[in-house]
This record gives sequence, C-alpha cells and structure tokens, in this order.
Amino acid sequence: MRAIIIDDERLARKELNNLLENYPEIEIVDQAVNADEALEKIIQLDPELIFLDIQMPGKTGFELLEELEKVPKVIFTTAYDEFAIKAFDVNALDYLLKPIQEERLKDAINKVLAVQASALAERAQEGVSEIKEQLGMNDQVFVKDGDRCWFISLKEIRLFESDGNYIKVYFNNVKPMIHKSLNALDEKLDERSFFRASRKHIINLSWIETIETWFNGGLLVQLKGGEKVEVSRRQAARFKEKMSL
Amino acid sequence: MAFMVGVTHLFRNYIIRNNWIDVKWVALIPRFMIAMVVFSLAHYLFIILISFFSGNLNGIQEFNVLYVLASMLQSMGLFGVWSLIYLSFLYFERYNRSLKYEAAIKEIELNNLKSQLNPHFIFNALNSIRALVQEDPLKSKKAITQLSNILRNVLKAQPQETIAFSEELATVKDYLALEAIRYEERIEISYEIDKHSNFFRVPPLMLQTLVENGIKHGISKLKKGGKLELITQRVAEGLQIQIKNSGKFMATKQKKSGYGLLNTEKRLKLIYGDQASLQIGNENDHTVLTQIIIPEPL
Repeated sequence: MRAIIIDDERLARKELNNLLENYPEIEIVDQAVNADEALEKIIQLDPELIFLDIQMPGKTGFELLEELEKVPKVIFTTAYDEFAIKAFDVNALDYLLKPIQEERLKDAINKVLAVQASALAERAQEGVSEIKEQLGMNDQVFVKDGDRCWFISLKEIRLFESDGNYIKVYFNNVKPMIHKSLNALDEKLDERSFFRASRKHIINLSWIETIETWFNGGLLVQLKGGEKVEVSRRQAARFKEKMSL
Repeated sequence: MAFMVGVTHLFRNYIIRNNWIDVKWVALIPRFMIAMVVFSLAHYLFIILISFFSGNLNGIQEFNVLYVLASMLQSMGLFGVWSLIYLSFLYFERYNRSLKYEAAIKEIELNNLKSQLNPHFIFNALNSIRALVQEDPLKSKKAITQLSNILRNVLKAQPQETIAFSEELATVKDYLALEAIRYEERIEISYEIDKHSNFFRVPPLMLQTLVENGIKHGISKLKKGGKLELITQRVAEGLQIQIKNSGKFMATKQKKSGYGLLNTEKRLKLIYGDQASLQIGNENDHTVLTQIIIPEPL
C-alpha cells in the first residue's frame, strides 16, 4: 500500500517513519511538510493512504482534504485535537495521537488493509477495470459542512444537487454542501454509475427505485432515499437507452 | 431632619475610618452605646439652639429632666436603628466583595491551568523527544529535563504571587528550547535582557504564556517560520518587557480572549493595580509586538 506522510515537523515525520518500518505492507513513497506540497504530491503520486497532521502552517489537514477530488484513505496524526476529532462520526476515521502508541498504529493499519482488501475483492467480482482519471464507486470523497465532517464512498451517495456555487450531497440522512461545480464533478464521475439527470442533478443509478413518465416527455425518478428527481426531456432519451441495456 | 442626615453621614465616615467592621461584635456594643448617647445629646442641644434662635424657647419644659430623657431616648432610638442598618449593610457588602474577589482568583487560577498546561505543546514536545532519543540521545536527555522544569513550574505556580524575573526567564528559555527542537530551522530566537531585570518580580508563567501565544498564533502559522525576540529594558515606570514575533495581529478576528490576554490583564490588575500595563499590536506588517510594563517592587 503506497502512502505519504504529511507533517510540518521533521522529527514527527521521522518518528512515524521509524514506527512504520515494522510494516512492510506500507510503503512510504513520499513526505510533505505542508498542505500545498501535499496536494501536489497526492495528485502526482496517487497514494492509497495518507498520514495527515491536522495543525500545519498555511492550510490545515482538513483544508487539504477539501481541495482533493479523490481522497485516499486517511489516518490523522495529531498531538491533541479533541475539537477536530469530534467533528467526525464514530468509526468514520482513524486517528493516532502523538506520541503514537504502537498498538494503536497496528490497529489502524490493519483496519485500512482490511478495507482495501474488501474493496479489491468487490472490484474483482464486478470485473470492473478502473479508468484512472475517473472516480470509482469505492473511491471516497471528503465532505465538510460547518463543523461536521464525513468520509463517504461514492456508492453511498444517492444524489448531487447544485445549489448556487455549492453542491448538496445526499447520503444517509444528511445532505451537506460542498463548494464545487456540478459540471466539474460530472466529468470526474463514472458514467456507468452516475447519470446527469438535468442541469441541476446527478443521480446514482444504483439508488433508483421507480421511474415514471412525466410532462413534456421527461421522466420522474424516485430514489430509495425518497428524493424525486426530474429527468429533462433532452436527457430522457439517453436515460432510457442506458437503463434498457 | 437636616441635622440627622448630617450627623449620620459623619458617623458613617467615622465608622469607615476607624474600621469598626473589623472590630468584634462584643467590643462594638459599648462603643455603639456611647455613640448613641453622644448623638442624642448633640441632637437635643441642637434642637434647643434652634428653638432659642427662633424664639420658641419657653425655658422650663426644655430643661425638665424627664422631658430631656424622653426626647433623648427618642433620637437615640432613631440613631440606633439607622446605625444598625448601616453596619449590617457594611458587613454584607464586605462579605460580598470578598466572595467576588475569591471567585475572580479562582477563575484566573483555572484559566491559567487550562491555558498553561497546553496539551498540544506537551504532547508535541514529547513526540519530538521520542524521535530525538534515536537521533541525538544527549539532546533528548536535556529536553526531558527542560520539559520537567516547565511542568514543575506550572504545577507550583500561584496566580496571585510573583517570582523573580530571572526565574521566569529560565522557564521561558526552557520552553523556547523545546519549541526550537520542534520547529528546528523555522524558529529563530533572540534575547536582549537588561541587567537590571532581575530586580523585578513578575507573575509566574506570565511571560511564558505570552511567548507561547507568539508562537501559536504567529510563527506556527507561517510556512517558513519566523523570529521571536524577547527584549527587556528598565524605564521610568518600571520594567518594560517586549515580545516581538513574526506574524500579524488581527484585532477584529482574534479577540484578546483568544490569546489568553484577557486573563493576563486581569492578573496584572489584581497584583499591581493600575501600575502595570499590557499592550499588543502590529509593530510592522510582519511583526507582532506584545509589551508589558511591570512596576518597581515595593
């Protein structure tokens, strides 16, 4: 598993490197000393895992995650950040408190490896070969809305709805907003899984419950979460074609 | 009536000046009685004088012993009731004030503990030391001693007290040495200490807190890091302590409370009254200046 360590303190990076020597499964491919450098290296090297410090000069670890389209697995490393950690749902993330306990590190790594193994198995079963430039169903995105944060894999997202300069992301029973454009997102999403229903909506095809005909040759799609989305007339033909296959 | 108000006012001042509220209850009773008699006598004489000048004096009734006693008793009663009310008011007021004072001290103590035992600093320091054990064992030993010194000083610090400037400076130096291990080339530290500084006494950990603020809100936010200077100088008002750190102070964005400055201000006020001062602002575009004046020790 290819990983990058992101921390502004040299000694902290060194300490983590030392600890990770016991884990041949984890290959440290690079290190970064701040969020900007990390952003570049993540895009360039596409690691599967990052060890991320929260408090850094310039941008914080959270701000870095918000800038990433595709978020690798993240293990936060922090000295003391009750605040930041409380922002997440339980089990939604792993974090290590510095100085890092070896037992905790072991647990965190095993967890990440297990998640990766199951994702690989799923992918093999579906026979899907991923197109590098696009986001797959198992890729996760980072969503931050006010004080709350989520890591959410694309397969769990039912609907993206544009709202001004923001996109509402529907999953579970929440719909936080992210600051992105729907067009840019549309280009990144795998069109076998997601469908641009209209100017305002992108739906996850696997979450469709019912489809009805609608005015002007459009369609009305109801999702398993209860949301109703209109498919514009222009898109309806493409949609029918896609769904009948 | 005007006489009553005037006399009670004098009595009130007398009570305050002679600290009657510090006197025990038992000792207070005879004094109180004497005061009552004196007042009622004065009051009676005053009434006689008034009637004499207004021509209402009939000359016999006023000097009748029974009549004199009766009217004295009447004014004594009035004075007595009033004085009792006033004394209890004073007691209550003083009790209240001492409670408030205690509460203020407790709050400051608590805030100090919270702000000075900064867990972020402690755990980061421990983490660097852990890495240092392998890289530079001697330096790591020294760092452990420095961290111990700081923890010891935090534990023993009493917010109302003052310590010698040299003692506080030693803590600051230990603290900055540890931060230098963490930030390495990103922090540059310099001292310019007036040799008269040791003549002064400062509240424990006050300088350390302010220096820590300079790092937390200034240098740690800068990718390239920055400089921190500690300068002291003896001036007419006392000892002037300046902390200059790279960064920018935004008064609107970062309230004083965020810097723990409010707490420091309260402490200074509690210990030195209005003789000490604390100021923070931008010295130039990229340097924050924190300045304190500590008065001469008594």
